[in-house]
Amino acid sequence: MKQDDSRKDENVLFVGIDLGTSRSSISASNDTRQWIESYVGWPKDFIAMQVVGKPVLFGAEALANRLSLDLCRPLEHGVIKEGISRNEEAVRDIIRHLLDLVNPQAGQKIHAVVGVPADTLKVNKLAIRRAVAESVDSLMVVTEPFAVAYGLNLLNNSLVIDIGAGTTDFCIMHGTIPTEDDQKTILNAGDSIDDQLFSSLVEKYPNARFNRNMVRQFKEQYSFVKDVAEEVRVEIPVDGKPVPHDIKNEIKRACESIMPALTETTIEMIARFDPEFQVKIKNNIVLAGGGSLIRGIREYLQEALKEYGPCRVTGVEDPLFSGSDGALKLAKDMPVKYWEPL
Amino acid sequence: MKKEHRMRQDILRGVYEDNLRIIGKGHAAIYKHRYYLPRRLLIPLLLSILIIISQSSLVSAPFLPEKYLRTLASVKTLTAGSAAGDGPSDYKAFIGAPGVPISRVFGLGVKTIMLDPGHGGADNGTKGHLGTKEKDLALDIARRLKDRLMKDGGFNVLMTREGDTTLPLNKRVELAKRSRADLFLSIHLNYLPSRPINMIETYYFGPSSDPNTLKLAEQENADSSYGMSDFRKIIEKIEETLKLQESRQFAASIQKKLFMNIKRENGAVYDFGVKRAPFVVLLGADVPAVLAEVSCLSNNEEEIKLGNAQHRENIARYLELGILDYLNKGDATYEARRQPER
Repeated sequence: MKQDDSRKDENVLFVGIDLGTSRSSISASNDTRQWIESYVGWPKDFIAMQVVGKPVLFGAEALANRLSLDLCRPLEHGVIKEGISRNEEAVRDIIRHLLDLVNPQAGQKIHAVVGVPADTLKVNKLAIRRAVAESVDSLMVVTEPFAVAYGLNLLNNSLVIDIGAGTTDFCIMHGTIPTEDDQKTILNAGDSIDDQLFSSLVEKYPNARFNRNMVRQFKEQYSFVKDVAEEVRVEIPVDGKPVPHDIKNEIKRACESIMPALTETTIEMIARFDPEFQVKIKNNIVLAGGGSLIRGIREYLQEALKEYGPCRVTGVEDPLFSGSDGALKLAKDMPVKYWEPL
Repeated sequence: MKKEHRMRQDILRGVYEDNLRIIGKGHAAIYKHRYYLPRRLLIPLLLSILIIISQSSLVSAPFLPEKYLRTLASVKTLTAGSAAGDGPSDYKAFIGAPGVPISRVFGLGVKTIMLDPGHGGADNGTKGHLGTKEKDLALDIARRLKDRLMKDGGFNVLMTREGDTTLPLNKRVELAKRSRADLFLSIHLNYLPSRPINMIETYYFGPSSDPNTLKLAEQENADSSYGMSDFRKIIEKIEETLKLQESRQFAASIQKKLFMNIKRENGAVYDFGVKRAPFVVLLGADVPAVLAEVSCLSNNEEEIKLGNAQHRENIARYLELGILDYLNKGDATYEARRQPER
């Protein structure tokens, strides 16, 4: 694509940001990419401040020091959690931290495209804008699956399903910017798998001691649908002693718990599209987000959709950065004149 | 290649325009043409229907825009002259007369009232210092109000939720639409972190430029699953209709009765008045709809009082009085006979 000459201005750093419930990533035009767990923690008191030695901690470091911190995971269901100004502060801190990680030069302007979940209301987008705007010079907000689609050149006759932690976002691309009707968000996503797995494990192993963070790690390491050959055994402390536990069935059940809603919504999204192009879309379904790493998920969906005719489901190569990479591509392609009023 | 380039340019422009809309720039220019044509067709159509209906004495269209009714009045005068005799000669004055609810103007009865206890299930709403949750109080007060309205008033009363269940805003709106209720009242409790006071305020749907009101609307709208396009269509539909006027009167009655009686109990309550705010939940039913913030959980004393069932019963009673005041505008001399708190 032909680039506008003024884009060669090195005084502008273009960034693409994917604000996620679980992880947030940034891709910058200086070829830097970073990600953090979407946690922010502030020391609870003066003593905690002495212990952690910083006024604010992020990601894994915040999680590791959580007992000394007021810990905040600001984006629940993919949007700024309602009613608590600290969450906006947390988003502001995450954005600042992400921007620091990509090392903008002194005096360099920052033009950012930020991906937010599809189907959000104006007020949510405004909240994101408010939290982000003060750290950048110009800002555009787009939906996450659209950013993924743009980054992968899936501009026409495709369906992107972005399975995140808080939400699963669906976006049909048909050669124009998707409208609200082309997008849908459901809450059956990574967090709901965690909830299901946590409840099953509490029920099956009442004496074992584990927390939600451990459960999330089990999921990320072993998640699958349909079947896998190997056993899934993890060590969980019982009376202080690590004991191996078989969690294969629980993992399978938890991961498969999101599939009916995911399948149903996929069918619904395709069905509401022009019948003439439905076949093309069915053959161009792309899974993105952390949930696309669940083993067997593509085959599961493909099989579930089989009765509606042949279809092809693929996954993005780099789920962690596909959103921020797409947002960066949008930022770089955006004509300079469009940045000015924003 | 050329086609793809054009497609990409269209998409980039779409992103730009979408962001202009988010920040409220360029909205009018973008929507001017889409908006213009249907209205032009609509006006003569509506006028024709109104003339036919009104001349057959079957006027039962309380929610048509006032300006069309005014036009109708003048058309009616021209066509029927003074033959109508006993009909109102100044429609504007008639409709606009203070204290005349539309239900009375058109001889309509209010049979069904829908109550909407705010939040619920996973969504606690606000929380007081002692841990009292808004969702529980809102439900309790709504249940009490329902009992009162059914027992004493003989109304058919529906609730958007009967228990502690999560109910997204779009479901509430759907319920309100389907219920064919004649009035809609959403019950909430406020939280003012910056000022430890007790206050009462009542909202009806409309634009607001007050940042605090917008912030509150943002909080209350957070779990709505509506998309921007749905939202815009609904706002356009509601614009300038009599529903707004009726809702304003309804809100005024609720606020007056609630504040007056609580003030009598406890001098330290502030009247924050009747306000407009873009609460999604108020858009659902095409009938007068208000959202009452009946108390304030950030005030410690008030939170303790709310733990007393009699206080909650009194609030329900004052809401009932507000409803009756609205329905009997001009006649009502209701005054709460407050029962002493145990």
